[in-house]
Amino acid sequence: MRQVKLVLLFWLLGCIFITAQNKQILYDFTEIPQAIMINPGMSTDFHWYAGIPVLSGISFQAGSSGLTVNDLFADDGVDFNVKVRERAIYGMSTRDELSGTYQVELLNGGFRGRNRDNFYSFGIYNEGDATGYWFKDYAILAFEGNADQLGRKFDLGHLKTRGEMLNVFHFGINKRVDGALTLGGRAKIYSSAFNFSSTKNNGYFVTDEGQNNLLANTIDADLELRSSGLNEIEDALDNDSSLLPGILTRRLFFGGDLGFGIDLGFTYKLNKQTVITGSLLDLGFIYSSTDVKNYTIKGNATVEGIEVILPDAFSNSNADFWQDLVDEVDALVPHGTNNNSYIYFRPTKLYGSIRYNWGEPSNNNMDCDCNYMVSKRRDYTKYANGVGGQLYMINRPRGPQAALTAFYLRRFGRALALKTTYTVDKFSWTNIGLGLNLQAGPVNIYVMADNLLAYKNLADSHYSSFQLGLNIISWGKK
Amino acid sequence: MKNKILLPAIILLALYSCIERQNFDQYDDLEIIPTVEASILYIESPERLLNEIPGQDFYSQDFNFDGFSADAFSDRVLDGFIFYEIENTTSKEMEATVEFLDEGGNTLDTQYFHIDPAPTPLVQLQVAYGTGTGRSIEIIKNTSSIKVSVLNLGDNSSVSNLPDPKIIFRSSGKFRLRLK
Repeated sequence: MRQVKLVLLFWLLGCIFITAQNKQILYDFTEIPQAIMINPGMSTDFHWYAGIPVLSGISFQAGSSGLTVNDLFADDGVDFNVKVRERAIYGMSTRDELSGTYQVELLNGGFRGRNRDNFYSFGIYNEGDATGYWFKDYAILAFEGNADQLGRKFDLGHLKTRGEMLNVFHFGINKRVDGALTLGGRAKIYSSAFNFSSTKNNGYFVTDEGQNNLLANTIDADLELRSSGLNEIEDALDNDSSLLPGILTRRLFFGGDLGFGIDLGFTYKLNKQTVITGSLLDLGFIYSSTDVKNYTIKGNATVEGIEVILPDAFSNSNADFWQDLVDEVDALVPHGTNNNSYIYFRPTKLYGSIRYNWGEPSNNNMDCDCNYMVSKRRDYTKYANGVGGQLYMINRPRGPQAALTAFYLRRFGRALALKTTYTVDKFSWTNIGLGLNLQAGPVNIYVMADNLLAYKNLADSHYSSFQLGLNIISWGKK
Repeated sequence: MKNKILLPAIILLALYSCIERQNFDQYDDLEIIPTVEASILYIESPERLLNEIPGQDFYSQDFNFDGFSADAFSDRVLDGFIFYEIENTTSKEMEATVEFLDEGGNTLDTQYFHIDPAPTPLVQLQVAYGTGTGRSIEIIKNTSSIKVSVLNLGDNSSVSNLPDPKIIFRSSGKFRLRLK
């Protein structure tokens, strides 16, 4: 039970950073090394780059498709219980999502091989995410109860949640096939600190008129919560929290559950100025076998209270009818825990884009202390302007989730580039984002934020994200 | 060039961004008080059995009932109702007594029912606990068993002309619980 609370805690923490995991501003922002992390087939002209450890890539994303902080906590004089009832319990649907993600790069670097068509990247990043859909019928049952709701089936399948924290060790190859096509792939080893998931729940709870007695309560349940790595964390939190950093560090560096995944990507130039790209990320799995604890409830039972049918009941008049009833329900709807290992799949993401470039190529305006021995190739020409559209999809417990983005990219010489985006997804239809990349000599700094219109009242925002990073980049020796 | 764009943009964003006043203390006002209902006890007996057992004392039984005294319930229950329904299709006049007993076997509450012989309408009763005019909710919180006694005030030979004559006792509870 305490573990369930721990899961809820992580989930609620995740809700603070609610996200769609979409990095639409960073995607195909080819000035930034971290863009290769979301398209290993990105067209790149770096000779080498080195991320400043821990600072090279930090991202937080937050959003809520159904409810904002302001909806509940605005100091508006409306009774809080009314707000919870109208805006949360009955205002949100089971499609409404609460989830969160953060990512911190611990190490990131890349270098061009002897074959200058090949670029290699490697690194380690830490990632955590939690997703939960609005468990509407559970909430209604908790707030309203089952009284005076004869025949109403409370759907136990409304519980869908997952979350994890892991380190990802990766090595990628980016290969320029010819002047038009660049392909990329990345292998990843996942080292998980903990994970939990409860995504394949089915069943219902209903109260009907009884066949014999006044009421019949029926439960038909097939529920499971799988967790790995939470027991030891729970013990540390209860007994000696100073152990927690050691536990997490050990698990994040190959001492926990391990998994494997790949990223794939490409860039293809349809013509001199038009480019299409695509990538598939985190096509992988993790085998959970460390500190596993799974909770299950499966079966069905109908209860009409203690039932005594005479004269049959005379034969066991000393029986404990209440305990018999409890035992009967336990037998019909067994619930318990097990330590069975399991495999879970990472949330796979898909990106695609088309971009049209125009304007003066920016290479002539370089003002950094470098030359362009690699980027002298015509296919690396960077135009001053780029406009296009992007598609993003991610697999979620309730099926794929998509976002569409229109963007405009503007380069001011080699030193400064801006990308502005307009994104439509389930979280917001007014999501305008802005990314800024600054190249000061070899030092590269980028900052990105989206859903800027929501900044007029952040508490009323359904979605926001923030990314920043610091790198050293070289385009080659003079 | 970059300063001409960057600096004004940052200042503009800083001026533009704000958070309306939020009052997180409102969470303290949140009340989660569901109303739950379920059946409690069902007893049925055919008229044949009433005729087979001589004398008035037809039936008496203590039923262990931990549902009310379980912490999850007794710590949270605010008020509620017990519903009774007695259906008599036998030819017997009867009297039923329902007693709520605590863990020591002491009677906390007693409910009498007089049941006329068939044909007679359903006997239905709603007993309130914890509400203004109702009985104390402490009765429910401390109930650990339910004793049901039935007296046969009729004879041991008559037979109802209704099909499959029975005496049936039904009951259910409906209570408000404070979860927060």
